Amino acid sequence: MTAAFSARVDAALASPTLKLAIDRTTGTARSKRAAAMAAWPEFNIARDLGRDIKDHVIENLEHYLVTFEKNAIASGAKVHWAETGAQACAIVVDICRKANAKSVTRAKSMLGEEIGLPHALEEAGIERVETDLAEHIIQLAGDPPSHIVWPALHKTREQVAELFRTHHRDPGALASVEAMVGSARRQLREKFMAADVGISGANFLVADTGAVCTVTNEGNAELTTTPPRVHIVTAGIEKLVPSTAHAMAMLRLLVRSATGAELTQYTTFHCGPKQAGDLDGPEEFHIVLVDAGRTRMLAEGLADMLRCIRCGACLNHCVVYRQIGGHAYGATYPGPMGAVLTPSLSGLEAAQDLPRACTLNGQCQEVCPVAIPLPTLLRGWREKAWQQGFEPATVRWAVALWRFLILRPALYAAASAIGLRLMPLFSRNGWISRLPLAGGWTAHRDMPSPTGGTFLAQYKRRMKK
Amino acid sequence: MSSARAKILQAIRAASPATSSGKGPIGAQAAALSARAAATRPERVSGPVDAAFLTRLQDPGIGATTERVATLQDFPDAVRRYLAAQGLAAAVAVQPHPELLALDWSGVETHHHIATDEGAAVGLALGGIAETGSLVFHSSAASPTLFAFLPLHHVVAVRAETLWPWLEDYATALATLPQPRNVNLVTGASGTTDIEGTLVRGAHGPGWLHIVLIGSTNAT
Amino acid sequence: MNERAKLETKASPHVALFATCLVNAMRPSIGFAAVQLLEQAGCRVDVPMGQTCCGQPALNSGDQEGTRQIARRNIKMLEPFDHVVVPSGSCAATIKVHYPELFAHDPAWLKRAQNLAARTHELLSYLTDIRGWAPEGVHLEKTATYHDSCSGLRELGVKKQPRKLLAGVENLTMRPLAGEETCCGFGGTFCVKYPAISNAIVDEKAAAVEATGADLLLGGDLGCLLNMAGKLHRRGAKVQVYHAAEVLAGMGDEPAIGGDA
Repeated sequence: MTAAFSARVDAALASPTLKLAIDRTTGTARSKRAAAMAAWPEFNIARDLGRDIKDHVIENLEHYLVTFEKNAIASGAKVHWAETGAQACAIVVDICRKANAKSVTRAKSMLGEEIGLPHALEEAGIERVETDLAEHIIQLAGDPPSHIVWPALHKTREQVAELFRTHHRDPGALASVEAMVGSARRQLREKFMAADVGISGANFLVADTGAVCTVTNEGNAELTTTPPRVHIVTAGIEKLVPSTAHAMAMLRLLVRSATGAELTQYTTFHCGPKQAGDLDGPEEFHIVLVDAGRTRMLAEGLADMLRCIRCGACLNHCVVYRQIGGHAYGATYPGPMGAVLTPSLSGLEAAQDLPRACTLNGQCQEVCPVAIPLPTLLRGWREKAWQQGFEPATVRWAVALWRFLILRPALYAAASAIGLRLMPLFSRNGWISRLPLAGGWTAHRDMPSPTGGTFLAQYKRRMKK
Repeated sequence: MSSARAKILQAIRAASPATSSGKGPIGAQAAALSARAAATRPERVSGPVDAAFLTRLQDPGIGATTERVATLQDFPDAVRRYLAAQGLAAAVAVQPHPELLALDWSGVETHHHIATDEGAAVGLALGGIAETGSLVFHSSAASPTLFAFLPLHHVVAVRAETLWPWLEDYATALATLPQPRNVNLVTGASGTTDIEGTLVRGAHGPGWLHIVLIGSTNAT
Repeated sequence: MNERAKLETKASPHVALFATCLVNAMRPSIGFAAVQLLEQAGCRVDVPMGQTCCGQPALNSGDQEGTRQIARRNIKMLEPFDHVVVPSGSCAATIKVHYPELFAHDPAWLKRAQNLAARTHELLSYLTDIRGWAPEGVHLEKTATYHDSCSGLRELGVKKQPRKLLAGVENLTMRPLAGEETCCGFGGTFCVKYPAISNAIVDEKAAAVEATGADLLLGGDLGCLLNMAGKLHRRGAKVQVYHAAEVLAGMGDEPAIGGDA
């Protein structure tokens, strides 16, 4: 385990509130998803369809990107392309500057987080107003997001109340979650209307219309994208679907998997700027198509991961995520999907713990709405880490020694016999609470003391009788 | 075109030489995928589409209330009743739709601009979707987007004959209509679960959504 | 009738018990229970003396080439048998699911790996699904709860089979376990590479087991059982832990995992 990961895990496990906060939100999410799936026996065939739609798009990515671009331009949008996150940020900042923007509202976008857009806007001296309630909370707290659907999941209601009391103009009593939401509503109302530029992400890019689909439950995306003069979308190039009808099939999967609802309260298709006669809407509509490692993922055999629709179900069902939370992953994307993405996005050596810190229990794959074989992809990273020598020498030697023995049954039997004779020396009443070379085990749990030699030796004796 | 564009497209070609072109024309493949969607829908919309729409809206997760009146002329009365029942002032922002403007709003103060803190607005949806209980709005001079997002109470009329059974039926219809700047599918009142997963209404959009169904499917 | 179907309905198939390295070292009674159950189910049982380990630790460490060496050896050793039966979902899945993946680019070995995979079974599902066996005259006046180990559950579909078998044990009362399909935090080498995370997970699992109030915790995978038993003991819980095969073989009154022998 790298020191950096170890420190983050220790901090997470030592937090007196983190586990409570994680359990409150992911527990609700799991039970709501389970209820939604119980009412949708067609989930399995829907998931196959979702997988096939996304695979079809990835197989024909150039076709769909070019089609989308053509239709978006026809609707009056300006389409930009960015190879890297830094390029994408520069494009966004440049558009803001040309628009003379002083204030920018932003609707939550994980791509925006991935490419560091919040930081880039601040560097450019542009006021950034996060409008998603959770993003608003972590902006006040100065935290990175800890979940891809609930970025402020690590905050308890008490902590949120404290933040609002400090930062809100008119917080009121904040005695309930309702009161906190009300305070945020009052705080952000004028900001929506005063912004010069609104920035959103995209849940889907619809190739045959050039529209950008966003989903929210709060209504902040539409309030972010409608009043300002300029609307900028940043979207990964994998977000395409062939048509609105295909988007609908994907929405059935996305929303149930994320929150357990059947559709988000607000599902919006944004297509071009304000039209003749429209009473509201932006005058300029920009779409920044961002690669930032996606074509590399294609080349690296991670095409399956490009199906991901960012529902967060794998996080909610991950036993590791549920103990250590999102910040311990040290990256924009936590949980199983993050453990697959992060080594590709920021390098395997730095992120080598993420694919390893996983029990390969497979629940993430089971709940994935587009059937991404997450354990297989995580194993793939472990193979690369092994080949590239990132496993510590002690582990490599231990595996080599163990392999040497298990390929030689007689030696293995002798070594086992010795080990099994030594172990009872450390035991009390059948249990071992401290054992040399097994500190990782006995630090936290006891080990039953073996008795009577190996099964093979005992069986051999019995057969001889 | 930008060099980033050329480089990205080149990287895609280099990374995935195996396209699905062997599976026939791309359009035909996409259509075949669409055709599979019908089998993935939840068993729900069978029988009259208006009944299915109203049933769906009973789901507490959606957070809407409903009623049915015979004709659009009955809508102002429904609005008056709603305002009174909610203890609201008799004042509404009326979506500037010619059919709404033509109604008799006597007894209610009406205006046609939407304020940042609008108390209540009334609207007319382009249609609705029975599968999900969604209202459909297309932005236009008669249907500004913000009318569905700024008010605290949103009272919306939708005609039974404009209900589509499934999400895909709406998608098919959209393809024959002029593409608006915004398509808004509104499925209930605004909500958030961002604080400890607790559902709270009225996060940024309306905290209350009241849907007035006009007429019935059978009558048309 | 194809060859495979013939084998499966064979009155007395020749079965290799692949006991697993953990059973071999830590809990021989599971091996003996498995032999007994297989014989009751009409099998001719052999325990190949050259067996060691399925290779899972190497596989999950990313050492593919090392795993292939182990896999080739096991394939050769186990090829002569009609069936290979494993009292562990994760070890059975290593042979059944992952051996063929390892030889995706080696047609000769791929064929042999697939052939072995088709004849390899997890013990409890083998008893019910292939042999149609059910316990007769086994009594145990206890309450028990069951944890579904992840590999068996998700890679092999082992879920109903152990419950069906345990329902046939007279006077044994089963109690539901909250989160029975949630990983216990063992994860093979995970539990020693990331001990603090593993501990947090198994602590939660142990609390759920204790909350059932059951006398016994049963499961089908010794790795997970050792993990949970070790944590339950450290917490001072009285719950006794057995492999389901032990209970089915009438050994539910003998010392539990860690119990005094």
